Amino acid sequence: MARVIFGSALRRYTGGVEEVEVEATTVRSLINALDRRFPGLGEHLGSGLAVAIDGEIMADALYEPVPEGAEVHFLPPIGGG
Amino acid sequence: MTATATTTDPQPSYKWVGTRPVRHDGLDKVTGRARYGADLNLPGMLIGAVLRSPHAHARILAIDNSAAEAMEGVRAVVTGADFPMLESEMGGSGEEFVDFRDLCRNVMARDKVLYEGHALAAVAATSRREALAALDAIKVDYEVLPHVLDVSLAMAPDAPILHEDMITEGVDPAPDGPSNVADRYVIDRGDIEKGFAEADVIVEREFVTQPVHQGYIEPHAVVADVGEDGKATVFCSSQGHFMVRSFTARLLGWEPSRVKVIPAEIGGGFGGKTTVYVEPVATRLSQKAGRPVKIVMTRDEVFRATGPTSGCKISLKVGATRDGRLTAVSGSMAYQAGAFKGSPASLGCMCAFAPYAIENVFLEGLDVVVNMPKVAAYRAPGAPMASFASETLLDEIAEELGMDPLEFRLRNAAEEGVRSVYGPIFKRIGFKETVEAVRDHPQYSIELGPNQGRGVASGFWFNFGGSSSATVHINEDGSASVLTGSPDIGGSRASMALMAAEELGIDIYDISPIVSDTESVGFTDVTGGSRVTHATGMAVIDACRKVVADLRARAAKVWDVDVSEVEWVDGRAQHVSGDRAPITARDLAADAAGTGGPITASAAVNARGAGAAFSTQVCDVEVDPETGAVKILRYTTAQDAGRAIHPSYVEGQMQGGVAQGIGWALNEEYIFDSGGTMENPGFLDYRMPVASDLPMIDTVIVEVPNPGHPYGVRGVGEVGIVPPMAAVANAIHDATGLRLSELPMSPVKVLEAIGANGG
Amino acid sequence: MTGTGKGVPAGVALCSETRVPATLRAVLRGFDSAFVLLSGRGATSFGCAMRYAAPTSIEEAVSVLAGDVHAQVYAGATDFIPQLRMGRPEPGVAVDLKRIDRLTGLRREGDSWVIGAATPSARLGEEEDLVAELPGLVEAAALIGSDQIQSRASLGGNLCNASPAADSVPAMVVNNGRAVIAGPAGMRTIPVASVVTGPGSTSLAADEFLVEFVFDRPPPRTADAYLRFIPRTEMDIAVVGAGARLTLDEAGRCREVSVALGAVAPTVVMVPAAAGILVGHPLTDEALKRVAAEASAVCNPIDDKRGTKAYRRQVAGVLAVRALRLAADRAARTGS
Repeated sequence: MARVIFGSALRRYTGGVEEVEVEATTVRSLINALDRRFPGLGEHLGSGLAVAIDGEIMADALYEPVPEGAEVHFLPPIGGG
Repeated sequence: MTATATTTDPQPSYKWVGTRPVRHDGLDKVTGRARYGADLNLPGMLIGAVLRSPHAHARILAIDNSAAEAMEGVRAVVTGADFPMLESEMGGSGEEFVDFRDLCRNVMARDKVLYEGHALAAVAATSRREALAALDAIKVDYEVLPHVLDVSLAMAPDAPILHEDMITEGVDPAPDGPSNVADRYVIDRGDIEKGFAEADVIVEREFVTQPVHQGYIEPHAVVADVGEDGKATVFCSSQGHFMVRSFTARLLGWEPSRVKVIPAEIGGGFGGKTTVYVEPVATRLSQKAGRPVKIVMTRDEVFRATGPTSGCKISLKVGATRDGRLTAVSGSMAYQAGAFKGSPASLGCMCAFAPYAIENVFLEGLDVVVNMPKVAAYRAPGAPMASFASETLLDEIAEELGMDPLEFRLRNAAEEGVRSVYGPIFKRIGFKETVEAVRDHPQYSIELGPNQGRGVASGFWFNFGGSSSATVHINEDGSASVLTGSPDIGGSRASMALMAAEELGIDIYDISPIVSDTESVGFTDVTGGSRVTHATGMAVIDACRKVVADLRARAAKVWDVDVSEVEWVDGRAQHVSGDRAPITARDLAADAAGTGGPITASAAVNARGAGAAFSTQVCDVEVDPETGAVKILRYTTAQDAGRAIHPSYVEGQMQGGVAQGIGWALNEEYIFDSGGTMENPGFLDYRMPVASDLPMIDTVIVEVPNPGHPYGVRGVGEVGIVPPMAAVANAIHDATGLRLSELPMSPVKVLEAIGANGG
Repeated sequence: MTGTGKGVPAGVALCSETRVPATLRAVLRGFDSAFVLLSGRGATSFGCAMRYAAPTSIEEAVSVLAGDVHAQVYAGATDFIPQLRMGRPEPGVAVDLKRIDRLTGLRREGDSWVIGAATPSARLGEEEDLVAELPGLVEAAALIGSDQIQSRASLGGNLCNASPAADSVPAMVVNNGRAVIAGPAGMRTIPVASVVTGPGSTSLAADEFLVEFVFDRPPPRTADAYLRFIPRTEMDIAVVGAGARLTLDEAGRCREVSVALGAVAPTVVMVPAAAGILVGHPLTDEALKRVAAEASAVCNPIDDKRGTKAYRRQVAGVLAVRALRLAADRAARTGS
């Protein structure tokens, strides 16, 4: 199980739900699970968002493993200079 | 000058990492031999020049090239019609995320020009004089439109609309008509009403900052050469030649593999060269003319047409208990995006209070388009302006509570296990250590004189991982070539060489760190986001480790033993028993053909585990109460570098960020006239600090190693620019009692504030 | 170094079109339009390359200027070249004055200092006696541009460029500098204060040029000072410049005083009321306060990207006082 915490922008697609637990082994399976739970959410979790797994922020994370009990956030793309 | 690292972990004994060898590219750079973007000349090369809009906002009704095309010496003319019309598509990878529809229109205008300086045509001719004369011969029919620069005016109901199809995202329900607000980002956590109710002290204030330019000394320059086979070779400086390849190809309607980009040395970028301006234009001109084309921007063009960072308006409110605990923060930040969407408003919201543990947060970030060049990244994009506001308010609260401002920060400091303002829980970080380093620094206890004041501020930046590739060869003489795809803007070649020397065990000057073109090394993300030492470093380390494994295997063959009996120590193969004479890399390399062939390995990463960066800084100023002039007397910055691979270049990044932050604080701003034309597009009146404006900036490298990197590296390039504006403002407050909330805090503004105060 | 815009007949045939193209016009907006030459003077020479002349005597220079109405003299070119790059119309011939010995010298001649109009301003600081006698003039010259600029920039160029913010001018004026001018009719001498007539224009005819400056050696207990305000510590154009000179009597009272302000009006302005307030009195705080008010009052400044009217007025008063104090300090220390 992974714990997903939604920021304000995504709560629009979860009916205001801020936190949820889903079964997932990779970020892709996590997104699929979330889309099943909140239909329509999946297309807003596409490329462009960064994913933070247990505090570590990463881009292009679709196949990244999600450890058991991990906390996951979706963040806006973070570009540096 | 520098009190070196205060290291938290037991220091591993490194032979090379942490030393300060002279950089491999140093001699060429200080003698003027190094080749920058403008330094290449090819036979038959044409000179390109760009026609730029004189209007801040206008419809292009017609462009007539005919006279220009017929002119003596002119070999090609292009306008927007020569480039494919791209649909809205977010592209790029990692941290390079752009909307190609916007990018192609920024590089060459289509139906509208959206800022003074916006490119709308270009020519290539046999001399610069002829090219400029040809530009004059291009007839453009404009329908001039009203323009807007101020974010408040841009958000007003009667504002001139830049994009008729811009419907604000992040608003529910979506607006039914266009506006100049591209996006609304919100951080909404906890319960701010409850948080403010709990507060004993609440401060709030409005802040205004102006657009500022990255100020790189080297203007954009490119030589593009499209061959008979239709493939292009592009020579230019940039913060990422793979980005140049991918963006140039996309804008021309080509596959990336049709473009080869050769990286020139780069004379500064700071984020401003993480995109393209003249590269696709020169390439298309070259294709049309059948000859190489060179375009070099003038300084004037750099100011009028390349992205500065956003100016913004911020209103912020902070609450704390009497014993100094932050209970709630709320506010709104409206950032100028320039002509196309994409300001770092969301990043400002995420970073402003990131160093602190706060439960109740409501921050809104608005991305607002206005008629000035599309903003580009500038060192920790979005964070410096937001922190100017937040760190000023923290200073006000500390003052009201009668608390030392560093103590106040320690009391609220985020650390491992604390939930960040932007959501995820922090892993191991070194924020507290930077605050303590400033507290314990001699500057903090120096007594101040009349009209003098001291201010502190802290800052945060994410740092980035991303894709990097590296290739390592062992040459026949036992030296190593280390090839990466990361342009060197801060001494990264030296850092790569140091890490390679550490892994391979050979002397640093037997290592050649090379920045290779897009065909000679694997894909690599931009040099930016404080990522190179971390991510490209990891690729280099991985490649070196593969090489070392290979070298051990070669030695095992030579000794006819199992590889498990071979160790690699100090650049030589040693047998575990100790009773064989060691074999050097040189000997193994000489024998390579016999033991398996050339010794070379590549590695590639999409680096994870980038460690967050924190900086705390202290500034002493003296204010002349009769002229408003602010003199920086002393400045110290403490930053967590995780592990400083090459301490001199870490210090350089720290000092550089501070120097730019001081300029941003005191004198830099874009000045526009009533027609939307920039009045100060040059270094005379765009006032960056000169050497005599700054004292030597003292640096303290804090090392709280990042568990995500083999050597504990944290990126250092960006966070240094986040605290200075607030540090200077807080110091001015300490000297004068006045809170300045508008940047820059120029002498005119300071004197006005003193006068308004009855001074 | 030469006249601008006066005495040039209209409709003169030039070697190519004289139109100033739109792009150049756009560019010209970007810098101090004080020296934009949109008159018939000079030619845009896209077809016709600018020629170069380097006369070695005053007579030769006069003859070159007389022979070509599109000649432009220059010395260090530290304004000239940037202006050309920014689109200033090229003259038909650029006349380099640095080969004329008299124009690049610096000497004490009897009771006067004579400084060649093309002498690099850095040269002034190398002359110890000049530094001792006219420290304000020297420090003004040392503020032009930067160290690198000063190795070429001249007082003549600084004056004739006629920027309201020129650093050397207030100091030259308070020291009653005289300008020696050469032309077809021979040499003539006028006060430095009469050279500049407005931003970008001088009273010199098109065929005249500056030869040298003459400053009388100051009497005892006399000293000058020049201060300017800029937002940074170097490189900026003066927001306000203040030159002051005074002579003290044996009791430390002011016997003569002169204050000139730069960058606060189209040309340098004097503060005539300073004399009425200070002469016959010591420099008290109260007297200086009144001088500051008078200095602010004579300003006729503009709002621009470098400062506001209000700011310039206020700082003019501040700098006038600081320059006077500095000059008084120096004057007291010169002894007899």
